[in-house]
Amino acid sequence: MSGKKAGLVAGAAGVLAGVVGLGVLAMPAGAGPAPVLPKVSAEELVQSVLTTKSMPALAGTVTATNNLGLPSVPGLGQASRFLGNGTTNTQVWTDGKGKGRISLPNSASEETIVYDGTTVWDWTSSNKTVHKETGGPDKAHPDKPSSGEVATDPAQAAKQVIALISKDSTVKVDGTATVAGRSAYEVVLAPKPTERTLLREVRIAVDAETKIPLQLSVLANGNAQPVGQIGFSKLEIGTQDPALFTFTPPADAKVVTGDAEKLAQKKPDAAKNLPQPKLVGTGWDTVLVEKLPAGLLGNGDKTAKTKGGQSFDPSKLLGQLGKRVSGPWGAGYQVSTAVGTALILDDGRVAVGAVPQQVLIDALASVK
Amino acid sequence: MTAAVVARPALDRPVRAPLGRLLVSELRWILRRPRTIIAIVLLSLVPVLIGVGTVIAGNANAGPGGNGPGSLFTILIGNGFVLPVLSLTLLLAMLLPLLGAMSAADALAGESNHGTLRGLLIAPVSRARLLGVKAFGVGTVVFIATAAVALVGLVTGVILVGTDGLITLTGNTLSFGDALARIGLSVVWVTFQVWAVAAIALAVSAFTEHPLVVMAATLAGALVFAILTVIPQLDWMQPYLLTTGWTSLTDVLRDPMPWDGLIDSTLKAACYLLIGLSVAYARLSTKDG
Repeated sequence: MSGKKAGLVAGAAGVLAGVVGLGVLAMPAGAGPAPVLPKVSAEELVQSVLTTKSMPALAGTVTATNNLGLPSVPGLGQASRFLGNGTTNTQVWTDGKGKGRISLPNSASEETIVYDGTTVWDWTSSNKTVHKETGGPDKAHPDKPSSGEVATDPAQAAKQVIALISKDSTVKVDGTATVAGRSAYEVVLAPKPTERTLLREVRIAVDAETKIPLQLSVLANGNAQPVGQIGFSKLEIGTQDPALFTFTPPADAKVVTGDAEKLAQKKPDAAKNLPQPKLVGTGWDTVLVEKLPAGLLGNGDKTAKTKGGQSFDPSKLLGQLGKRVSGPWGAGYQVSTAVGTALILDDGRVAVGAVPQQVLIDALASVK
Repeated sequence: MTAAVVARPALDRPVRAPLGRLLVSELRWILRRPRTIIAIVLLSLVPVLIGVGTVIAGNANAGPGGNGPGSLFTILIGNGFVLPVLSLTLLLAMLLPLLGAMSAADALAGESNHGTLRGLLIAPVSRARLLGVKAFGVGTVVFIATAAVALVGLVTGVILVGTDGLITLTGNTLSFGDALARIGLSVVWVTFQVWAVAAIALAVSAFTEHPLVVMAATLAGALVFAILTVIPQLDWMQPYLLTTGWTSLTDVLRDPMPWDGLIDSTLKAACYLLIGLSVAYARLSTKDG
């Protein structure tokens, strides 16, 4: 009898251990206690970020979480996976001297971009094509800090940046955090109470040791979770294998040289005919107002084409994305997301901003 | 005469049979069943089917970049090394768990159905040992099937495409030895995943004497997991499901290889294995001989 009981107890203990194990595995990597770091003022921190001219050699996984609530638009191809709600992982490597490698894994395919110092290789496994382009390190380095050129003296630049931001926002260092296993300062930019915006604050985690930004989170009003977040979920700073920054196209791959890229850049020619957009307001409640040529959203125009080549009716698409609104200011479609609002009126006027609808209407009225 | 009798150890406690002999006898027992052999042979025909089919179809219907397992077919053309991994990916979804469930159903419920489990239970063998031998037998069958699929896949790939140009998803070319190591890794990984499913099936198997119930329960479980995966409102459940980690098998085709998904899924499978074997043990140890 006691043997049976022992068997039951052992079985129950095993099940319990298994379930607890599953729970531990399913738990997201804990934030852990906030690390203790020497106090630093926002100005000093911004200054030290600006002094850091180059990225150290590193390997990491960049995770982008999108809760923007953007409506899904058909025909965007690869871009749609960044726009839709969800989490996207990208792996990045850099040797700290300008060479870099980015890998966008899909479930059964992968796009790899390698910059070996002179050439950008862009490999897509799903159609076995390599795009080759000489020069242009910018493409391989979207995460390179570009603010370094604003002013030569970092201390001066830091003051400028802070002064510029403090016009409409409060800037402070709000404690510390652990991001990707590294201790970081949390810099918080919050709009001043007078700003009429949907956003609550922007948090930037800056690595305490190397002073590179580790994570950027955008928080909106009425939502405890970040509506958008991009940052390292894994980071390893140290010398990387130089073989990572070379690329040899596989034997039977299709290699397309730079020309195809140039052709692709010619496409948006039509967009050049559009009038320049206008900015209304300053700071957080800036609204972008634009008058599209009449007929672009009109009824008969079916020239707009998606990547796949099917034509579609823009107004029908707008009806899917947003809701029909009207008022004394006109009638049109309103597209609402967690971080912003867009108004597209029937007469071609468009207003977009990280603001509620009323601010858009005011802005539209001001540019009549 | 008497001296010989005295020389034997006193039989007041049971003599332990060597574990190796038990395992070998269990294996011989399993592999003597025609259904096991037939299942393994049929499974290992799958890579031949895929390989010949893809090569005949050629590049004709390689569409623009998709995200499903379909886009693995694109890189397969001119790349024999992908065939074993692709075959395992496709078989892992349903057929390999089915084999594991079949084996687990035979292990306890089948024996119970034939009345032979009773003999095992009254034998002077601890129940834990009995379960261990059964779990080993199930795992070995799964391993043989997985290895056969990979081997046939590799041979088919080499015959159809040749040994050069073992291209990873990342776009670089691997040496033949490196490719072999990765295929070996995927065999071990897939075996462990299927073994975890089979452990749950073994738990069901301990409760019933109808092998069909075990098969039905395991297949139903696999289908429910697949359905839960596609319901967006239940995505919080996904980290708990064994099947969600199975897409990381394609990680062996990337370079440098991301280990996170593979390791995470292995730990998850270990948890399922522990749960399954524990339930099976609890049931077996309370069964009357």
